Amino acid sequence: MSTSEAIRADAARLLAEGRAKLVIGYRARGPHRAPAFVSDPAGVDVLIYDNLCKQNLAVYLRKPEVRSRGPVAVVAPPAVMRSLVVLAAESQLTEATVLAVGPDAYHGVLDLAGAAALLKEKYADLAPSPELLEALAKLDAMSPQERARFWTDQFAKCTRCYACRAACPLCYCARCIVEKNVPQWISTAAAQHGNFAWQIIRAFHQAGRCTLCGACEAACPQGIPLMLLNLALSEEVAKQFGEKPGYDPAAKPVIGSWKPDDDQGFVR
Amino acid sequence: MKILDADKLPDLAAVLAAAGYRVVAPVRDGAQVRMAEWKPGLAIDAGPIPANSVKEFLFPRCEVIARYSLDGDSFAPQPAPVDAPKTAVLAVRPCDAAAMVALDKVFNWEYRDDAWNARREATTLVALVCAAADDECFCTSVGGAPDARLGADAVLRCADGASKFILEALGEKGQALLAAAAGVLADGDARPDPPASVPVRFDSKAVTDWCGENFESPLWRDLGLACLGCGSCAYACPVCHCFDIQDEGTRSEAVRLRNWDTCGLALFTQHSGGHNPRPDQAARWRQRVMHKFRYFVERFGGLACTGCGRCARLCPARLAISQVCREIDEARKAAAK
Repeated sequence: MSTSEAIRADAARLLAEGRAKLVIGYRARGPHRAPAFVSDPAGVDVLIYDNLCKQNLAVYLRKPEVRSRGPVAVVAPPAVMRSLVVLAAESQLTEATVLAVGPDAYHGVLDLAGAAALLKEKYADLAPSPELLEALAKLDAMSPQERARFWTDQFAKCTRCYACRAACPLCYCARCIVEKNVPQWISTAAAQHGNFAWQIIRAFHQAGRCTLCGACEAACPQGIPLMLLNLALSEEVAKQFGEKPGYDPAAKPVIGSWKPDDDQGFVR
Repeated sequence: MKILDADKLPDLAAVLAAAGYRVVAPVRDGAQVRMAEWKPGLAIDAGPIPANSVKEFLFPRCEVIARYSLDGDSFAPQPAPVDAPKTAVLAVRPCDAAAMVALDKVFNWEYRDDAWNARREATTLVALVCAAADDECFCTSVGGAPDARLGADAVLRCADGASKFILEALGEKGQALLAAAAGVLADGDARPDPPASVPVRFDSKAVTDWCGENFESPLWRDLGLACLGCGSCAYACPVCHCFDIQDEGTRSEAVRLRNWDTCGLALFTQHSGGHNPRPDQAARWRQRVMHKFRYFVERFGGLACTGCGRCARLCPARLAISQVCREIDEARKAAAK
């Protein structure tokens, strides 16, 4: 049985047994892959899975329109499972039902604990692509002035459409700081000052939480290389705190916790 | 016939820049080709459809529309001149050029928008006949064509097997541009290449009619589930034109800004009292389709979509308004049987 067929069979069973009222997976739209929302066991034939399925479907679990449908099951490659584990660690969900897929395997229907165990067993060594590591090394080798020039050019493209935020499962604030106006922290203009503030605060809020799924960069209509920021902060967190988010639902988020022996060398 | 070798677009840009034009052209930027201000040394890539539309050079993402100073109780307006540099846009797609004609109607509707009109007047659009289209293109479904001339001041057309361009002026602005570019243009003959073939994907009249009868439809709920509620589609769209007005500054001086905004964002219709008349993404998607295919037609007699396909190419959830329209068209035909 192919992975797609196995997903269809499990999705139909979950819906028929009432364990899920909605299954979120992938479907084909021409040569592209789009999200599929299936609520009827007879409708599972649209579901497919292949290596073109990139969107992080965990993002839909924070939508009120989706939550209101009742229990939801999600087709989840490792990136989606890691996002769900972070959401659990941050008390944004208590349980999940996933149809767990890997690059070469289908792992069946799992709950949150099962997904976390699978991640630790089989997907503990997920590494950023060599291209991304090389691009970050190139950026690190620049002088501060050159780096400032690089980001000035990149951020100049930002239209403030907030697709990066909308595509990220971990950007779940009911009201984002960029839209607070009493006081207004960040300029609304899609110009240098506000764009820098927005981009930096988005990246900082991801530090120690981001699982490097790539959804924000894939969503950016302006082609801004957001993964360079995410990876730089992620490597820094790993170096300082030895943490890799998205494997332990009981982990305390680095951004919201402290330990007495944390390095305080930065205090001068 | 005015002829330009296919690899001489940068020469054309250079001669226009020397003649005082700000030159905008498709240039490669990472994985994308983008419409951007051309600088000497930049290659021009007229192959792929640019990721962004030409809209932002006529209707910037953010613009200072007023300035004022404050001193205690005294208020003093300050000059806020319109920035409208003389501009030549090279290789603008026919769908983008047609979109500027739709925007002319909006910005001269109940209020004549001086900033828009000044930039429009200062801008010469040199359209490129599309030699290729992708599976998201649907200009022919919304009244356009890969070789349409609506909105263009001059036309570039591939010729002799993509080895040359034929450049033709369509009006005074186009003639002025050709005169400024005379130094790089040759007189000669060339056989134009055929334009791209873009299949008709739906009947837009059927969509307009359906929208008039289906404010309540399960279709909207389904679309609302998949839509993430970002502004990517609207900001990439050459016709979307909604904006927000914001004042920013200090106690002594401030500016009034016009920023792009979009019906796809929840805050667009959020009232300060807490009520939101478009409470979910389904209502926002309905507004997007209704505005483009129904309300704009009722108000201005044409569609607010020129079929460029950018919204679908860039959508993080790969939603496509063309597919929605095709489903509407098919459902309507099925119901009529």
